[in-house]
Amino acid sequence: MTQLDRTGTATARPVGYSVVRVRDNSFLLHRRAVVIAAVLTVALAVTVVASLCIGESFVSPTEVVRVLLGKPSPDELVVGTLRLPRLVTGLLVGAAFGIAGALVQTVARNSLASPDVIGVTHGAGAATVTAMTFGVTSPTTLPYVAIVGGLSAAVLVYAFAWRKGLHATRFVLVGIGVSIALGSLTRLFLTKGDYLVAQQAKVWLTGSLNGRGYDQATPLALTLLVLLPPLLWAARAQRAVSLDDDTATALGVPLDRVRLGLTALGVVLASVATGAAGPVDFVALLAPQIARRLTRTAQIPLLCSALTGALIVTTADLLARRVFSPTELPVGVLTAAVGAPYLMWLIARTRSRGGATA
Amino acid sequence: MSRATRRPVVRLVAGVLLLLLAVLLSLAVGSRQIAPSEVFDALLHGGTGDNAQVVRALRVPRTLIGAMVGLALAVAGVVMQGLTRNPIAEPGVLGVSQGASLGVVCAIAFFGVHTLNGYVWFAFVGAGLAAVAAYAVASGGRGGASPVKLALAGAAMNAFLASVVSGIVTTDAQVLDEFRFWDVGSISGRDGSVVAQTWPFLLAGLLLVAITVPGLDALALGDDVARGLGHHVLRVRILGALAATVLTGAAVAAAGPIAFVGLAVPHIARALVGSGHRWVLPMAAVLGPSVILVSDVLGRVLFPPSEVPVAVMTALLGVPFLVALVRRKATVAA
Repeated sequence: MTQLDRTGTATARPVGYSVVRVRDNSFLLHRRAVVIAAVLTVALAVTVVASLCIGESFVSPTEVVRVLLGKPSPDELVVGTLRLPRLVTGLLVGAAFGIAGALVQTVARNSLASPDVIGVTHGAGAATVTAMTFGVTSPTTLPYVAIVGGLSAAVLVYAFAWRKGLHATRFVLVGIGVSIALGSLTRLFLTKGDYLVAQQAKVWLTGSLNGRGYDQATPLALTLLVLLPPLLWAARAQRAVSLDDDTATALGVPLDRVRLGLTALGVVLASVATGAAGPVDFVALLAPQIARRLTRTAQIPLLCSALTGALIVTTADLLARRVFSPTELPVGVLTAAVGAPYLMWLIARTRSRGGATA
Repeated sequence: MSRATRRPVVRLVAGVLLLLLAVLLSLAVGSRQIAPSEVFDALLHGGTGDNAQVVRALRVPRTLIGAMVGLALAVAGVVMQGLTRNPIAEPGVLGVSQGASLGVVCAIAFFGVHTLNGYVWFAFVGAGLAAVAAYAVASGGRGGASPVKLALAGAAMNAFLASVVSGIVTTDAQVLDEFRFWDVGSISGRDGSVVAQTWPFLLAGLLLVAITVPGLDALALGDDVARGLGHHVLRVRILGALAATVLTGAAVAAAGPIAFVGLAVPHIARALVGSGHRWVLPMAAVLGPSVILVSDVLGRVLFPPSEVPVAVMTALLGVPFLVALVRRKATVAA
């Protein structure tokens, strides 16, 4: 905390932070986090241009920039109509998963408790597949179905894991169990449903950006826009939650309510992202961890997690499109191939028996 | 007979009766309901009627495979839980089944192997590697292989192997076609030749388990005590792990990955007959097939005319069990 003397000037501030003043408001900025955010943004911009250039046919970067700026170009169709919607979906999905992971990991104080490990994405997946097999395919209703599914799964896991308090390891174990059950429930509906729908749902279930466009991106973008004010609140609230319980309570933080709010935000974001692209595994686990290691902050940085998430998904999708070309891999396959070994590494270097700490 | 042995024997006999009932159900129930008397008739006297044909050509192989797979997975679960002293060790949870799947996919995709006899070896290698890797990951760090770390390592292993499998499968249409049919874990659509190819491996696995029974009992008391009792701990572990790998590999090669049978059955068996392995193993060997067969029958009648694969049914039935296990204090505190 910044301490102010009588004249109101800052005499001491945390190491590595700068104070930014806007009229009467002042807030702390972590200098390294700002630099990292800038670097990530540049990297993201490079990836964006690269994914728009590379594909079945190569488009030069100058043409891509012309299309992006809305100027007439011969590559309008390839870049603007075919590649851009998919890329936008990937960016939004990655950002949403990154933020969701950061929020849930902050509340659980456990890097393993990301939405994809504790069953939220599987809940959203099961709900969506169920809706699809019963003939609900409109892109405007499916996000709501996904949210309902994700929230129900979260509530279910929470209820099962609650026993005189919430033990983090029990939470994670129950989450794994519920994920498996929801996965087989999804398969159950796949066997029941129409063959064509089943085929469609199967692709969706691996987490694929193939054929995704503005239909899927719009609800996600709207959700992010609506959630922007709560997210700004979350960025502040995060700091209070990362204190230990006694200190936070002594400071007058309504801990339970803040935790509930942060978790709900995370679950909604993860569910909507799943609704758009299917369960792209491990992004929500990886992005906050990488972001935090880059910025070296005490809390998990929200903005950097979002940028990292977007970077992971777009890079993975670019690789998934090109590595085995002409065959395309679902992007979820690639993120799992990278994310799962990271999770194992996280487990292997755990020191306490209570599970890996962030 | 002393009192101490009477109870397990009675329960074991009850288990055998349950198994017989499950077998009868599996032979009689399906898209075509066949009366038990007709089932017996078809089995004992042959006959050329439609029902007799269905029973002998379709239901008998399916039932046999189900029984063998259930037996193998349940015994493998007992051995794994005994070796790791970990209540949630199980072929499915630890990623061993998924490892065996990857072995099979590699055999089909890269080595052109298309018979069960051929790819069962790949399944063994995959299962063994996955088991060692999951356990090594979980036992790293200072806490040792606690249940939560083992489950997480297994979940991570499952996700990783599944992504490799789908990577291979999506890039190779022919493999997809061949692989798809046992990918989900089902015992339907297999003919008698699968039974003939599986049983030698099953027998080998069971013999290995039989050798390790005294060692498993001693291991339950801790490594030091086991050593003090004169057991070669490392040998017990290696033989036991080999047995579990062979059993899991054979089961997966025959029916695809089926989770939770290896988790739930050993616990039920222990609750019924105590913790001595000479009683737990036979009890599990009787209950495992019953669970698979009953799940399979349920899968047949749930959404007629389509069938729900047995692995989906066991997962749905097994998860409440896992949750109950996790909610017990001892599991998490361990």
